[in-house]
Amino acid sequence: MTTVNVNVHHLTRVEGHGNIVVDVKNGELVQCELQIVEAPRFFEAMLRGRPYYEASHITSRICGICSTGHATASLRATENALSVEVSEQTELLRKLVFHGEIIDSHVLHVYMLVAPDFFGVGSVLPLAATHPEVVKRALRIKKLSGDLCAMVSGRHTHPIAMAVGGFTHLPSIKELLAMRERLVAARDDMDETIALLQALPWPQFERETEYVSLQKEDEYAFIDGRIATTDGFTYAIPDYRQVTNEFLVPHSTAKHTKHNRDSYMVGALARFNNNFEQLHPRAKAAAEKLGMEPLVTNSFLNSAAQAIEMVHCVEDSILLIDELVDRGLREEPPYRFQGKGGEGTGSCDVPRGILFHNYVIDEEGLIQGANCVIPTGQNYANMEADMRALVPQILDRPHKEITHMMEMLIRAYDPCISCSTHFLNVEFV
Amino acid sequence: MGNALWSNTLSSDTLVIGLGNPLRGDDGVGMRIADLLAGYRLPAGVEVAQGGTRGLELVNWMEGWPRVIIIDAAEVGKAPGGFTRFTLDEGQLLGNDQHLSIHAAGLREALLLAEVLGVLPDEVIVYGIQPAHLDWTDTLSPEVEAAVPQVLKSVLDELMAPGPVACG
Repeated sequence: MTTVNVNVHHLTRVEGHGNIVVDVKNGELVQCELQIVEAPRFFEAMLRGRPYYEASHITSRICGICSTGHATASLRATENALSVEVSEQTELLRKLVFHGEIIDSHVLHVYMLVAPDFFGVGSVLPLAATHPEVVKRALRIKKLSGDLCAMVSGRHTHPIAMAVGGFTHLPSIKELLAMRERLVAARDDMDETIALLQALPWPQFERETEYVSLQKEDEYAFIDGRIATTDGFTYAIPDYRQVTNEFLVPHSTAKHTKHNRDSYMVGALARFNNNFEQLHPRAKAAAEKLGMEPLVTNSFLNSAAQAIEMVHCVEDSILLIDELVDRGLREEPPYRFQGKGGEGTGSCDVPRGILFHNYVIDEEGLIQGANCVIPTGQNYANMEADMRALVPQILDRPHKEITHMMEMLIRAYDPCISCSTHFLNVEFV
Repeated sequence: MGNALWSNTLSSDTLVIGLGNPLRGDDGVGMRIADLLAGYRLPAGVEVAQGGTRGLELVNWMEGWPRVIIIDAAEVGKAPGGFTRFTLDEGQLLGNDQHLSIHAAGLREALLLAEVLGVLPDEVIVYGIQPAHLDWTDTLSPEVEAAVPQVLKSVLDELMAPGPVACG
């Protein structure tokens, strides 16, 4: 009879702090938990009493990797609450910087957090010794995407030029064209990335679940749209609570969510499953090379879906730049508060999944309440469900391998743990 | 072609990077000195950057520079405010690291990675300043505050010094 005890304290190569606990006694799975031990962050409380124009700057500090995602969702929530319309120029620029962040976050995850597992090394450092070209490529892509973000939003991290109603700084046509050249040149690096992932021994694991993401008819949705699920449900963004249904669990400082099933998954794989048709042709070709088409139900392939999104974002960025250059850029008058408050919800599908910001703003423009539902938080229940399904399948393997598979499973989700913990401490059992 | 005794391709091109978190007490000393340096008329080819808490991006930053000077709070075994200037040849930062945490990747990891990738500058000089504390505050301790002019002077002397003259 099998007895297995996996206890990974502070899992490495994920953002934030979490422990994996798996306890199998006599072949029976007794305990299977992802314990989030990250300290609470209190961002929702921090926003209370602050003027509306500070929200995006404060909430962008929730994360250093997805700061633009938080800022964008924040701005959309504020604009929704105050009935602010943004220009098409602003929409194009926001999409462009968002693409930059998607590429930046995904390349970090795929090359530096996930790849070492496949190469049998503990981190990217030994990988740099044995496969320097691979690591150089990762740094090159990261530099490109970081420069793209800085060009559009004024800074690589924490997008200072993004404001309610628009941008306080615009890139020049010259800068846009120079960036376009670099993006075109990056196609080789994208091809190499897909080729790299094609050759990896992805674990075989299937588990049906519900996939939740934003959706739009005419584009691969990252900002705005409607909430869609692979179980066929669709909601307007303000109705997000009907999807999330947040609840507490004793072993975690982060809340869990559930919708139609016991859990659902958000992130690149969810977007891929919902919005495959809207992918750029080159991204679809990449998907074909990787043998992926909806419905993909192997959580490990979330990282592969990220690589497909990288290809898409490079191509779509080129198209966005073409459109911006064609239109020319115009300085637009800044938004002025109209003396009327309101409640609003904004949503973006950031690198790790669908994100909601909801604010209540009063007649003086001060934030009276805020609610942020973070993608990683929405994945915890699904991560645990995957763990429960995977463990029995690999019980016969050596203990070290079981532990490694558990770690790889959680890493595949690209969890951003410090983003997701903002509830007060609960007592551990 | 030069021989081993001197180099006739000596370049004064130098990137000075101040590192640290200005909100963590003495950890902000590198950024403070970088900030002060920016107010001086520095020789052509010298650039000053505020690196903050950047990690692996430093690899990109350093690439292509013949000489990099890094200024940071560091455990150098001295009384608070004391500082040490050392080069990477003196081997104090390098070592094996199997458990790199990307989220916490900092200078050490960036230098390791740069070396492995073959993009480490020819000269990397580190000014390590011993902190008194790394508390949550945006001010330096009195000891480190007092050390700032001395560190600044040492860095400036190093930047302004004329290069060796090839003889013979």
